[in-house]
Amino acid sequence: MKLKRRPQPPAQETVISLIDVMFFLLVFFMLIGRMDATAPFEVSPPVSTTGESLPRGGTTIAVAENGMLALDGETIQRPALLARIRDLLAKKPNLFVRINAHAETRLTHLLPLVTALEQAGVGDVILVVTPNPA
Amino acid sequence: MRLTRRKRNMALITMTPLVDVMMILLVFFMVTSSYLDLDMVPMVQSEAAGQAAPAAPAPTLLVRITASGEARLRGQPLTAQALASALQDAPNARVLILPSGGANVQGLVSAIETATRAGANNLRVVRLEADR
Repeated sequence: MKLKRRPQPPAQETVISLIDVMFFLLVFFMLIGRMDATAPFEVSPPVSTTGESLPRGGTTIAVAENGMLALDGETIQRPALLARIRDLLAKKPNLFVRINAHAETRLTHLLPLVTALEQAGVGDVILVVTPNPA
Repeated sequence: MRLTRRKRNMALITMTPLVDVMMILLVFFMVTSSYLDLDMVPMVQSEAAGQAAPAAPAPTLLVRITASGEARLRGQPLTAQALASALQDAPNARVLILPSGGANVQGLVSAIETATRAGANNLRVVRLEADR
């Protein structure tokens, strides 16, 4: 005797749980992530145990080991950089500048830049460091 | 005569476009975000955030950073203890850090770190080299 199986309807794939997980991941990455412009060259910031928490916002100047400069991810020469900073200051007088300098960069590349920023009217200049848990 | 409307099926909300958009957003945030844990050290502070100028000139402690990155106070290698005892002798002293142009950023940050641990709250980085 041949038994016939009753044809079963195709199982419905529930996408609700998938959407829940994706929404959770989306919110997680939006909250945790920091969308800063990365430098176009390698920058490994100096290590410090006494650093303070890095504020969001502002503009970022990256300084490579050989002194090359980048403003918000774009390579730039120093005169053009200072002109751009002056433009930004005209729009936002309380602008703060983050300097993301490589740990091995000589101070002859960094300190004149800090002085020039100060002379341009930047009130707050901070140096990005990597926290050392030790 | 009574007309009866044919019963319509309930419109199904299609989830596929929503999932597609969320997937694109998710990948966007995963790729563009950076998850580096970074801190900062102030280099220049505005007058409002910085300290008010003292009425009387404060004594100065000069910390030199050699080209090799070694910090020295009064000719001796800089330690947090040495600077802390110097600050005890002269409270409110201004700590000036004078680095050699040959020193690197890590040397400067280490000197600032030592001074901060010693309790220096009036810290300034100075330089002698002419701007080029």
